[in-house]
Amino acid sequence: MADTWNTDTGEAVYRSRDAVKNLKVKVRIEKVTSTVALSQHLQHEVLSQQNRGAIELETLTSQGQTGDNEEELVVGWQEKLFSQYEMELFQNEAACQTPLDCQYHTEVNALNKAKGRRNKRIFTYTDHDRYTQYLAFHQMYSNDILTTTKSKPTFLAERMASLTHRRSDRRTVDCSIPKSKIINWEPTEEFVKSSRVVNNAMQTMHIMGDLGPPGRLGVRENECLLITIKTDGIGTIIVKPDFNKGKEPYRIVTEGEKREVWCLTVENVSTALKADEKHREQMMYKDLYVRHKDYLNSLVGQDFEMPPVGVLRYMVNGEIVSAKGFEYDNLYIHFFMELPNNWSSLSSQSLSGVTQICQTKTLGKENVAFFSYPFSFEAFYMCEKESEVPQWPVLYFKVLSVDFWQRYRTEGYGYLLFPAIPGKHIVTCHTWRPLQTGTVSALKRFFIGGSPELEDQSYVRIPGTFKGERLSRFGFHTETTGSVTFNLHCIQQARVFVDATMLKKRRQKFFDQLGGFSQQGAVCTILEAFQRARRRMQEARESLPRDLISATSQLQNESSA
Amino acid sequence: MAELHIIGQIVGASGFPQSSLFCKWGVHTGGAWRLLSGLKEGQTQVDIPQTGDMAFWSHPIDLHYATKGLQGWPKFHLQVWHQDLFGRSQLYGYGHCHVPSSPGRHRISCVTWRPLGSWQEQFTQMFVGGGLQLRNPDLIYSGADRYRLRTEAMGTVELELGVIMRHFDKYGVEN
Repeated sequence: MADTWNTDTGEAVYRSRDAVKNLKVKVRIEKVTSTVALSQHLQHEVLSQQNRGAIELETLTSQGQTGDNEEELVVGWQEKLFSQYEMELFQNEAACQTPLDCQYHTEVNALNKAKGRRNKRIFTYTDHDRYTQYLAFHQMYSNDILTTTKSKPTFLAERMASLTHRRSDRRTVDCSIPKSKIINWEPTEEFVKSSRVVNNAMQTMHIMGDLGPPGRLGVRENECLLITIKTDGIGTIIVKPDFNKGKEPYRIVTEGEKREVWCLTVENVSTALKADEKHREQMMYKDLYVRHKDYLNSLVGQDFEMPPVGVLRYMVNGEIVSAKGFEYDNLYIHFFMELPNNWSSLSSQSLSGVTQICQTKTLGKENVAFFSYPFSFEAFYMCEKESEVPQWPVLYFKVLSVDFWQRYRTEGYGYLLFPAIPGKHIVTCHTWRPLQTGTVSALKRFFIGGSPELEDQSYVRIPGTFKGERLSRFGFHTETTGSVTFNLHCIQQARVFVDATMLKKRRQKFFDQLGGFSQQGAVCTILEAFQRARRRMQEARESLPRDLISATSQLQNESSA
Repeated sequence: MAELHIIGQIVGASGFPQSSLFCKWGVHTGGAWRLLSGLKEGQTQVDIPQTGDMAFWSHPIDLHYATKGLQGWPKFHLQVWHQDLFGRSQLYGYGHCHVPSSPGRHRISCVTWRPLGSWQEQFTQMFVGGGLQLRNPDLIYSGADRYRLRTEAMGTVELELGVIMRHFDKYGVEN
């Protein structure tokens, strides 16, 4: 028989959007006696060899014993079912101390007047029962995590157990904390209890079994925990042990001398949502989302700023972060952007700027100046010929220094090519400055400031006047100076990208259906060719005179009607 | 209409002359943007580090924007202040950083500066404290009038921002 037990008694976590009061659990317990086991075993054998089956098994079937050794019951969430012990206890009014006890007293009396209770062995402890709180203590002392016999529960474990896991204690979650009193300088004991340990307010329910011998029910020692169900307010349901779901039953061995074996089956019998109700709910959600979307649209507006067809919009949100390792103090940076051919920008766009003068500080071995100077740059790219590789805008900058006597010195030249890949870029540019050989110029720079400057700053990259085949800077002396760090956040926007993303999505879907990889390349090219053709057709259509299109669309409408 | 979520925290600051710092922060956006939920400005607590010089605030940021255009992408402006033993506050730095335009988690180091006065003023500041402040804090997030300032490099503020974007791809935005 050993292989027919379910030994996995761990807890299972479920999530549900439904109200927890709809939860219904079917519990079945059955005593396993030797005769029952034998008869089941025999039945099993007979069923497996039915064509031989001439053995009479009537006497061995367990029909006669169903009375007391077996019980099946459907229990609702937080439904109170009294045990024999409780029935006897609450009959006596003198034993009732709390209002809950008094309520149980009236309920028990009503039950006695009516036809009696519907359960025999199975009963429940709800969240409000005293037992639910005691059990945590009990479990702490009985179920050790470690194998040693001497382990005592830790202080924290004791504190955790003394918590009442009830929603009513959930005060700390309140958002209405007054601003003047954020800190509780004199925490009360109750406050400490609820705030120092995890207080994940759970509602608990225990389904118990009275597994005493027949006729001797109502002895507390024979009570045995069958199932624990916990829920929080947000749809989590924890069941320990898990629902059987067609697997073997759980085994429960009673304590004491007799060590009887019971098998336990748990099933979820909550009524499922009907199809039309489900549909209605889905419609409701859909409606809700649509309304929310409308609300957002009413706030912001539905349209989005788009560049014209065939134009790439390039936006850079950047900042000049820092300059590092320059010779003199009090640095500032002068910069301007250059737009190559086919690029344009709005007239309001400023394409140059000057930072503040910043005194450096020492960071590690080098002197650093912090600017955190923001700039936004927006440009449009339009190209007639598709084959041409676009050139990207360039930022030229020079670093200058001012000293106490208002002497200016050129500290370095550099340029930054704006990244062609959208996203975040941290770029560090190294700089140089032109150098005149000889001590005279060095002395000049030291004493009276001023140093050789570039007449045309585009010389830093490819000079604007350059027309040759080879760029030569032979004979030009420079000195390495410091470096400048930029932070750039680039965005690109074009109407073509809309189609591209759609195409990507569609292609993915198509491949999912296709399943294989063999023809991907071919399919890809075909799809892209199709898309290109389609785009060309659309463009042609747009270039047609307006009245022609409206006429054709009318025609289409008529034909479709 | 596209939506943007900014979820993260102002982690802390380091590299300032003294610890015991707090930070005032705000988010500035262009006209096309609209704040749907969340707080767009705030102030952290004063943090006194026990070891090291980094003050940790772990100040939460959770913003939800909707926008009609790309212009005026949200940007953070920060002011780091020092509070001394007597409860006097002194400006320690202005900082600025753009909100990243690509989705994902970003760790951002925002450098700060503070205005520098004449040498007399610097002398007084050394003994009495205080110091200059911007009359108009708009200058933190605009570069237009910066050239008139003389500043001093201060510390860095660390930010950790998670960016979630919605419907930007629908309008052909690659980021």
